[in-house]
Amino acid sequence: MWWHRLLGRAPTRHSDIAEINIWRLQSLFNNFRRILSLNNAILANMARMEQALGGEYIYDKAFLENTVRTIASHVHHVTYNLNALTGNAYIPLYDRYQEIRTILDDIISGNTRALACPPVLPLSDIGWELEPLVGIDLVCLAELRHHPGIHGPDGFVITSEGTRALTGQLAADASGTVHISASMVRVGLTDHLDILLQECATRRLAIVVTQVDDDEELARELGRFTVMPTADRSVLTIIEETLNPAEPASAGETRALRPENDKANSATPRHEREDSVLQLYVRSVERIVQTIFTRLKATGGPAIIQYAVFVRCCPDAAGRGTVQSRTAFADSFDVLSITATPADEENNTDTYLLHRTYPFELVQSVIAPHPAKRRFADGRLATSNAVIDSGFGRGSALLANKDLKALAETAMALERMLGIPIALHWECLATETYRITRLFPLQLIRKEISDDELAREQEGAQIICEGGQLVQAGVAAGSIVHVPEDMDPADFPAGAVAVARVASPQLTPILQRAAAILTEYGSAAGHLATVARELRLPAVFAVPNVLRLLPPGTEVTVDAGETTVYQGILHTLLLHGSAGMELSPTDPEYRVLRRLLRFIMPLHLVDPDAADFSPGGCRSFHDIIHFCHERAVDELAHFQERRPGLGAIRTRRMHLDVPMDIRVLDTGGGMIKDAANQPVYSDICSEPFGIFLGGLLQPQAWTTNLPSLGFRDIISGMPRTMNMLAAPADTLGENLAIISSDYMNLSLRLGYHFSVIDANLGSDEQRNYVYFRFAGGLADPERRARRATFIKDVLEAMDFKVTVNGDLVIGRLKLVEAGLLRSALFILGALTAFSKQRDTSLATDADTRALFNAFATSFLGHFDRDISSSFTQRAPKTAPHENTDEADSVPVRK
Amino acid sequence: MKSENNQGEPRLRILILDDEPIVCRRLKPAFEKRGYEVETFNDSASALARLREAAFDIVITDLKMEGADGIEILTQAKKASADTRVIIITGFATLETARESYSKGAFDFVAKPFKLRDILECVKKIEDQRQATQ
Repeated sequence: MWWHRLLGRAPTRHSDIAEINIWRLQSLFNNFRRILSLNNAILANMARMEQALGGEYIYDKAFLENTVRTIASHVHHVTYNLNALTGNAYIPLYDRYQEIRTILDDIISGNTRALACPPVLPLSDIGWELEPLVGIDLVCLAELRHHPGIHGPDGFVITSEGTRALTGQLAADASGTVHISASMVRVGLTDHLDILLQECATRRLAIVVTQVDDDEELARELGRFTVMPTADRSVLTIIEETLNPAEPASAGETRALRPENDKANSATPRHEREDSVLQLYVRSVERIVQTIFTRLKATGGPAIIQYAVFVRCCPDAAGRGTVQSRTAFADSFDVLSITATPADEENNTDTYLLHRTYPFELVQSVIAPHPAKRRFADGRLATSNAVIDSGFGRGSALLANKDLKALAETAMALERMLGIPIALHWECLATETYRITRLFPLQLIRKEISDDELAREQEGAQIICEGGQLVQAGVAAGSIVHVPEDMDPADFPAGAVAVARVASPQLTPILQRAAAILTEYGSAAGHLATVARELRLPAVFAVPNVLRLLPPGTEVTVDAGETTVYQGILHTLLLHGSAGMELSPTDPEYRVLRRLLRFIMPLHLVDPDAADFSPGGCRSFHDIIHFCHERAVDELAHFQERRPGLGAIRTRRMHLDVPMDIRVLDTGGGMIKDAANQPVYSDICSEPFGIFLGGLLQPQAWTTNLPSLGFRDIISGMPRTMNMLAAPADTLGENLAIISSDYMNLSLRLGYHFSVIDANLGSDEQRNYVYFRFAGGLADPERRARRATFIKDVLEAMDFKVTVNGDLVIGRLKLVEAGLLRSALFILGALTAFSKQRDTSLATDADTRALFNAFATSFLGHFDRDISSSFTQRAPKTAPHENTDEADSVPVRK
Repeated sequence: MKSENNQGEPRLRILILDDEPIVCRRLKPAFEKRGYEVETFNDSASALARLREAAFDIVITDLKMEGADGIEILTQAKKASADTRVIIITGFATLETARESYSKGAFDFVAKPFKLRDILECVKKIEDQRQATQ
């Protein structure tokens, strides 16, 4: 035609447009489906890595390299697929992917530079991923902040990169730049010392230097110093202490180093004096860093000397002491030992020996005689009881029973974290607050256990429960405590063996107190399993009949690696367990795996509405795939309105016995092959769409006794109506369902409101969801807002996460059982019809409540029922709307 | 000379060879706990030398290593004692390597990572077969 040439267009047939569009549409949807399937593959690989960390697999470095390579490749593809789906809306995600990938590659190759962090940072900012820069002992001390027992002290750390910068050991990279300079470290040091000294009444600092070498099993203490000021604060003295884990704060060889003091005299203004004193502290710390470096160099250490420095306030303590998590007591079993020394009686030390398992009963105590007027933990004075000739009182311990147990519980938690017996130092402040100040791996001469000894014990042992999914290997013993759903974590006795019905995330605080956990239901790939591995808590989930087989109070030994529970305490197995085949934090493979997982597994972006829910906020691969999934769902939820051209695609109009037209577009497996030209309900194979239609076709949802509209409503609705009329002609009035076997995206215009239902019901429950969006109405804003409230209430009754903005309601439901998602879809179908034009009848808030009650009576009762265990297995013969006898029942396909 | 377990029965002797120490470190106590006698090696030369001087009931060997690889160990172990059962463990499992292993007489072929229980069951199967034939 001449006008085609004139306009430069080639003539096209309608069928061509449709074919091209459907191809593009399928291509776009394939991106979404690919995101789902890749996410599943990534999560499966992540779960395998986690299970390897828990001790389930024997693995080697090749496994780590291959798995990281596979996961990274999948994450890259997910990023690509999201950008393909959204027209390259998330290009910065590639950068985040690349940054994390680089870190992972560096971890595998042993390069710690990728873990770039400030060279000086507070102890509270340290996590497992920084272990190569600060040492495992400081990480464990920092991790105590997540533990309900006794915590570590406040303080800061100079990382091994920081000390290398201060000692001039950091070489420039290929571009000639040094990523951390000595001046950067000094700035950090000044800032953190300033903060620390403001809260340190004594102005006395305890400084510990630890060698950090990834090839070594554990960090090694290189020096322990006290920096203290003179009375006028003009001179600082550095005292070096002896290095003996069994002697807290003992003044051994004392060497005083005096830093230069130039400005700190009384003639200087106070603020300058303060600055000067602060610089004196900075120089003291630097002096210590240099002293250690010189000493190590002189002894011919490694070419690159790596050590971290921990600086904390040294308060006036009322008492100090040690804990050794394992010490030989008798041939039959080991115990935990605690010492306590009052600050003013350095030679009078109490020693207590306790059982290593809950409830940490006292085995033996040696109480030192104390001088008169010493007030004991029980409140009595030394002279008020059992006074003897010398004036010393006997019979009262320095530590109360509860404090002994708290120390024991904390020591055992640290032993579990570190994977080997430990020694620790504690101090008690005047406020009776306890702090763990140092942690050491305890190099015990391990008692050899003969195979026969172990075999003999096992022969006589009674297995009372076995089976289930291994979550975290390990051996633990204690009394059984059943954990009801509403248990206050504080009521759980620390050190007991927890037994629960379901491995739900609500049990997380219990894990921090338990010696082991067993559940009747749950998955080794769930959140609680991750926490158990993080805490290295022996854990087995899905143990058949565990609640019945292990009544409360039963004393047991759990061998999680063997998924076996024995009656009573098996001391040889307990000893063997910690020395046996378990993967230990002292194994380099364990440390590398845990480090890798810190950048793969954690999910930080949980709230799609939060400000940091962005590509830049992604800190792990899990964040990236979660972000991609959320954004892909969002894209589909707005798919039809963002692509008005969809109206040109050839679709089929459904024949439904309700006053509603729905056109349907099957992208694969959504309808039976020989569906009619006007498909009916029974032609639908798409599980989510079929269930939705089941609810939509419920007769009560179409009650027609609607009030007539008032003049005000009509006037109020006019601008919105005019906007609708101004919409492109090919989209006006279209109710379009894009479906496949397990997916639906339905965009509805009913009367004057709009809704979108986007749902996925696949085989992987982790990736299933229902998204619902509703807006519009003809009534005035108040009434529309009331309908929004009504819809919000309905959604919240089904545990949707709901946001409301004016008359716009958005609800999301995911990570719930498939049965609940089906129920929700069914009810959303009913809600879609029921809420049609309801805004006009909502004159008061009472009307809103009444409407909710009416809907709840008719439909929300269905929510607890399993709407359809398998939609596709029940082919429908009649639509629910056609059978009024079943009006109040769930649409069951016969 | 074989040692005996609690029941006075001779213990099965297992040689484990893997150039990654973590594999030996974890397998050794797991087998010892079940009453087996275990020797571990991280280099194939030492393992081959030991195979020449002592007979083992079971050899568990990695496939890809510096020096003699798992197939060579399999061949030498069978040459030293035809009764020795060899289990190949590898992180580079392919159909070809599995086929070659079986054709050279491997008892089983296990891909890494593997569950401890799987390899324990594999060894138990060998033990049961031996007891059945004795």
